[in-house]
Formats: sequence, C-alpha cells, structure tokens
Amino acid sequence: MQAFLDQLMKAAKEAGIEVAEAYIVENESFSVITNQGELNDYQSNMTRGLGFRGLVNGKMGYASTEAFDEESIAQLVKGVKESALLCEDTDTVFLHKGDDQVPELGLYNPELDRVSAADKLAMVYKLDEACRAEDPRVKNGYNVVETIKANVRIVNTYGMDRSFCENIYVVQAKVNSEENGFVSSSGHLAYSRDVNAIDVNAVAKEAVKRSLDGLHAASIPSGKYRTIFHHDAMVSLLGVFSSIFSAESAQKGMSLLKGKLGETIAAPCVTITDDPLLPDAPNSRPFDAEGVASKAHVVVENGVFRTFLHNMKTAYKDGVETTGNAGKSGYASSVYVKPSNFFFAKGEKSFEELLSDMGDGLVITSVSGLHAGANAVSGDFSLLSKGYTVKNGKREKAVEQITVAGNFYELLKNIRAFANDLTFPGSAMGSPSVDVGELSVSGS
Amino acid sequence: MVNQQTAQVVLEAALSTGGDFAEIFMEDRRNHSLILQDNRLETINSGRIHGAGVRVYKELSAYYAYTNDTSREGLIRCALEAASAVKAGDERTQCAKLVAKEIRNAHYVAMKPSETDTKLKADILRAANNSARAVSEEISQVTCGYRDSEQDVVIANSEGLYVTDTRVYSRMSCQAIAASGTENQMGFEGPGALKGFEHFMSTINPEVIGRQAASTAVKMLHAPVCPAGTMPVVIGDGFGGVIFHEACGHSLEATSVALGMSEFCGKLGQQVAAPCVTAIDDGTMPGEWGSENVDDEGTPTGRLVLIENGILKNYMVDRLNGRRMGMAPTGSARRESYQYAPTSRMRNTFIAGGSDDTAEMISTMGDGLYAAKMGGGSVNPATGEFNFAVNEGYLVKDGKITTPVRGASLIGKGNEILMQIDRVGRTMSMAQGMCGSMSGSVPTNVGQPFIRVKSIIVGGRA
Repeated sequence: MQAFLDQLMKAAKEAGIEVAEAYIVENESFSVITNQGELNDYQSNMTRGLGFRGLVNGKMGYASTEAFDEESIAQLVKGVKESALLCEDTDTVFLHKGDDQVPELGLYNPELDRVSAADKLAMVYKLDEACRAEDPRVKNGYNVVETIKANVRIVNTYGMDRSFCENIYVVQAKVNSEENGFVSSSGHLAYSRDVNAIDVNAVAKEAVKRSLDGLHAASIPSGKYRTIFHHDAMVSLLGVFSSIFSAESAQKGMSLLKGKLGETIAAPCVTITDDPLLPDAPNSRPFDAEGVASKAHVVVENGVFRTFLHNMKTAYKDGVETTGNAGKSGYASSVYVKPSNFFFAKGEKSFEELLSDMGDGLVITSVSGLHAGANAVSGDFSLLSKGYTVKNGKREKAVEQITVAGNFYELLKNIRAFANDLTFPGSAMGSPSVDVGELSVSGS
Repeated sequence: MVNQQTAQVVLEAALSTGGDFAEIFMEDRRNHSLILQDNRLETINSGRIHGAGVRVYKELSAYYAYTNDTSREGLIRCALEAASAVKAGDERTQCAKLVAKEIRNAHYVAMKPSETDTKLKADILRAANNSARAVSEEISQVTCGYRDSEQDVVIANSEGLYVTDTRVYSRMSCQAIAASGTENQMGFEGPGALKGFEHFMSTINPEVIGRQAASTAVKMLHAPVCPAGTMPVVIGDGFGGVIFHEACGHSLEATSVALGMSEFCGKLGQQVAAPCVTAIDDGTMPGEWGSENVDDEGTPTGRLVLIENGILKNYMVDRLNGRRMGMAPTGSARRESYQYAPTSRMRNTFIAGGSDDTAEMISTMGDGLYAAKMGGGSVNPATGEFNFAVNEGYLVKDGKITTPVRGASLIGKGNEILMQIDRVGRTMSMAQGMCGSMSGSVPTNVGQPFIRVKSIIVGGRA
C-alpha cells in the first residue's frame, strides 16, 4: 500500500494536482446468521478502498478505487483532474494541515480479534436456542453475530498522516412469534467493544418480549393522541431529521433552521449534543473525514439553537470554526456534513413516570418506512408505527397498522419531557424515551 | 479478470474441505457520477469497484468470503477462507471442467458511458435544472444527479459454468424543492436504463424531467394536508407499481419464502389476489433498468408469471433457496456487488395491463384519494405489513378529482390489499428504483397500469 501511495502522490504532482489527499479504509468483517437452529449465512471478508481527492485551480476533484495496480494510478489522477476542472463549486475548499491534537479514544480492543470463528458460531447458536427456549410461541427469526474491524487512514501532501483502528461486536436477534395465526415480528440488538459485555440471554429475552408484545395488535381509530416515543422510535426519527442541523443543508436552502441561530427552536427541556468522544457509543472517532480532531458540541441548549454542524468548507463560508463534522459514506464518497454520536440529553423521570404523567395515550415503540414517510426538507412525517395504548398510566393493548403523522420542527417545540433512559440502539443517533405531546394518528 | 484456468483452481480450493458446490463471482466496475446543485456542478466522482466473492455450499448451508485481492493467491486464500467453515466427512465433490458459455447480449449500448464526453453528461443536468427553475419562482433549490456504471462480471461454478457479461447502467435524477418561507415541499424524478448515454439523447428528455419534478413540488407546496382514514384509492401508473413491489413482491422472493417467513408460504395454486390481477417479474426486457442477460449466479434471466388472474403461480428463486425449497432457480439471484452473497430479488416487476377504463374507475369511486405519484416504501415480509408515501395526491369527491393534498401515506398488509384491487387499467408503464434487501441495493423497475383499491388506510395529518 505504501508503495502504491508514494507512486500515486508522485503521479498527482506531475499531473499538476497542487494538493492531494488519500483516504484509505481497510475492513475485516465476519458474520454468521442462523434461523431455527440452522446456519443460514456465513460471511468472512477483507476489503480495502482508497478515495483520492485533490485541488486543481482551487477546485476539488474526486476519484476512488479498490484495485491497486498501475491502471488505477492513471485512473485516479485522470479522474481527480477531470473532476476538478469541471467543478463549478464557488465555495473555498481546503485540505487539513493536521496542526491540531488528536485525542486517544481506545476504540480498538485486540482481544476482540482473538475470538475464533468457532466461538462466534457457538454464540449465535446459543442465541438462537435461547430465543426458541424463551416461549413456545416463537416461530422463527434471524440471529446474527457479527464482528467488524476498520482501519481509517488519511494522508495528504501537507504531511498529515493520521489513522485509527476500531472494532466492534454485534449481537442481534429478530424474532417472529405466532399465536392463532397472528404473526408478530420484532427484535433487539446489542453491541460492544468488549466481548464479555454482551449477555446473549438478555438479548434473546428482550427480542422475544418485544415480539410477543406485538401479538394480537390491532389498529385504533383515527384521531389526535397524546404520544410517547420509546427511545428506539425516537432514534429512528432523529436519524432522518438530523440533516436539518447540517450547515450544508442550511446553506443550500434545505433546512428551515437557516437563519435561526440563537433562537428558540425547541421546548426548554430539549438539549441536543454531538459528541464523537463518547467511549461506548458506536460512532466515536478521534478525527473526522477531513482529519480534523474531534470535539463535542452542544447543538441545541435548553431549546436554543447554538450551532450548525460544520465541515471545513461550510465553516469557512459561515465564518466560523469547523465543528469537526466532515463525513463520508465510505472511502469513495465526497466529503459532506455528518453527525457523530448525535443525541437528545436525558431527563429526570423514569419511563414509568412518563407513562403515569401522560395518563391516557399512546406509546410508539417502532416506526418504519422512514425513507418514504419522512421528509427532512419539509419536516413532515407520516410513519407506519407500532406500539401500545396506555390507560391510567399503564400499558393497555398492542397497536399496529397505524400511521403517526406530524412535523419534526413542530414536534421539537411540543416536547413535554424526556425520560432518563438515554440509549444508542446501534446507529449514530441516541435518545431517551420522550413525551411529544399530541400527534395525529390514522388508523381504522 | 479471472480466467478459466485460475477459476478452476479457485473452485477446487473452495471444495477442498467437503463443500458440495462452489461459485466465484468477480467484478470490475467503473462508476461515474455528477451532482449539480445551486446551479453549479458541485461534485464529479469516478470510481473503480473491484473484487471477488467465493461461495461454498454444504447441503443447505452456505459460506461466503470476499476480497479485493484478486491475484491468483488472493482468490485461493479467499476460497479457503470460505471452505474453512465447512464441516464435512471424507466425501469430496469434484469440480467439473469449466467451459466458457456464450451468451447473447439482449441489451444494446450505443454510447458507452466511459467513452462519452463528461460535458454531455453535465449538459443534461443543466437542462433539467434550468427547466425545473423555470417552472416557478417558488422553486428554491434543485439537485440533479447523473450516474453511470459499466460492470464486467465473471461467474463460474463447480458444475462447469464459466460466463462473462458486461452491464451498462445510466440514470439521472432531479429533485426540486419549492419553498414558501415557512414550508418546503419536494418533487422527484429519476429515470434510468440498462443502456448507455443514448438513453438521455433519445428516449428521455431532461427538460421534461426537471419540469415534472418542479411541478410536483409547487403543487404540493400549496396543497392542504391529506385527511386520514380508510378510503378507496386510485393509484397512478408507473411508479405506482411500488405498491405491488412492497406489498407483495418482497414476500414472493425465495429469500423469505424458503425460511417460512413469508405470508405466501405454501400458497402456490391458491387465490392470493383479486381475479383482475396478473403480476409478472421479467428480467429479459431489452434495455430495462432491472434486466440482465444472466443473473448474478450465471443463470439466464426469464419472464416469470408470479400471479395469474389472482392465482399464485411462481416464486422468485435463487440457487441456495431453491435447494431449500426443492425448486429450480428462476434467474432471480442478484447482488449489489461482490461484497454480497446473492439472493432472490425482483427485476422488472409489474401488474400487467387489464381491461378497465381509467376515467370510469375515478368517476365511480365516490369519495377517496387519487395517488398520482408514489414515493418509496418498505415491507416486513414476515407479516406483510407495508407502507409507502404518496408524493403527489388528490382528493376525490363524488367521483371528481378536487384538490391536491400532501403528506399522505398508504399502509396495510400485502395479502389483504391484493384482494381489495377492483380495477386494473389497460396500459402498463414502468419506473425505476433502487431496491434494498439482504444482498444490497439493486436496480429494479416497478410498474402497473392505473389500479383501484376498494379500501386502504390512508395516513394523513388532518
């Protein structure tokens, strides 16, 4: 790889690419999936990819490859050059000089690498068995054990050369249960950088409980309902609408938060933080996709909008410092703005207290179809949802086949309280369960 | 790309621990993409996807390994990695001698994207952008994208198959946003084909694409929110076919049927839809977005009748799940790239043209919703629950289309909605999408004529 890199940088310089950067991701992953005690899928992989970008006449060009041969060097150099020459972006762009201090986060646990394939197989069978042993109504499902190891390195012509390695262990159960012809489907996931921290039986128990909870669910009449989003459902919602906090979205007129810095955009109980330094969250990293050292930022503080998330380009345009939120969706991607661990701060009350404060209403435990039913540009959402009704502060009956609709900007203002159960269920988003006030429900 | 001789050695290594079938899939793919936003070409990106995956079967289990070290040694290492998971006795299956299989290319490419001037690609984005912005001063942002790829594949297996193919894809998209100051609404069009750049010189007019996306956005900006409730719905042609794709198509993939996770398990020969419904999955249609000469396991694609006059006729079957179900593969095995093991997927999937009149189905529907443009959706195959967004909808009062409405979505269960279809129009048309599932994101066409559903839950806000 080093020889390839040296040759690439040399060829780039000769071709007139003034400043250049290589972003290299190396992945090793392993996963096993079972269904009803049978091995359903077994995968083991090693891949690497290189994203190359560079400045020509002040414009940024991009190209990428997964092949590391002579042909690729020519393709990368030609690709970056053509890309930069055609680019009409008038924003000023930079590469990072690497003059900041990168924190040490301990995202790599060598012990995880030493767990054998046989042990991971044994673990997935144990999970499978535990799910089926939990209740006779469990019909089938997927059980997954997965390990992922990634190494990210950024090298540029300013002499910056940064890298970090991370690994993670994921255990997931998806359970279909059946009673009197009614099928209910749900699941649960746990992850850790410490293999001993995952309790397979607990994952099975929670997945089965969630599946059984959905049995005999029915729709409810259309109307306005006082609603609590369980943390998993709120995380799904935040995932779609986090882009409204991106400076890139705002600068392009795709966020209604444009021009609202310093204004109250949410209820006083709402605080939203982006923190790439959390030791146990899934999206922690010592530096962002431009190599800028990570820092935590409070985005919304007690309802007041404090900052957009920035990369170097959007920050320069707004005349502020980057928040270190440059992101890529893979080695080949261009740089955009992306949250790290992005979450609502927790409240004081327990989930049960939230229910009893609500009295009568609805708890939404999961939402689906986010790519169809939620529009980050308008803030509108109308989502197929599952959950249960609440009567006198207690769980009443399971609900499905409803859509819950609202507008995210309005929802932020209507939030009444957060519970103290802040969770990162596996994505970059985190949330406690939250009482969002009244929402429109379409049902029977 | 891996030649016959090397593929033979790799497959032998894959079978060395007792596997009874092995396959190698190798690809070298050139992607090119352009994004125009804010009236400017913002990002131009080119990339090379390069790698191979080896899959070994032992009875009903499969083991997959992939790499982008495609040297002879790298491929053998990858094969041995997959093979190392096989637990077997002394029995060994021999790899048959590989014989190169000639395939007839049914998808003609006139302008190879790699040989097309990038300036031409930029021009169609400018044309779409300009026409979108010309629709109204309320259009505040337009994002146009263009993406093409040329994928060379080699697929070989231990039964002696060695086949090569090249797949050329081109697609453009236009997303227009209309803004009122306090509200944003969006319109989207995204035509594509298994063709070269000629698609945008002849078949597709980029100006029309821009105009359509912008019109939807402007219309929706002024539309009141859709009322919620259960009502009859007429769904427009083309992308309206997403209803069948989500509500039924995914549940007919062997991926869920073989594991007993589909509501359509054990229902072949039974009535699963109203008698006016005939549904097809066709991988052979020349130049269509979801077509292929051979699938990603090297099986020739075909035309598969899924439902005929309401009776379930066929599932979409890949090789491994075919083993599990005792059924022959149907040329339906697909994958996003070498980084995914293949599984059964849809190709060009549509409700076939019927015998009903479009005007009549609206005039006799009473009060309900006309869903002119559908957005995306999703389904849980185990329960059949689906949901999808209505990007452009109109209220119907007493058989007459009245006001546009926004924010609507349709939800239900697949087996129920299929029985609820009571009108199928005459002329089928298709639209392009990317379909995500276990083997990644693959190009698929959805399609249908105008159809009417007697009763469905409409999610709205009012």
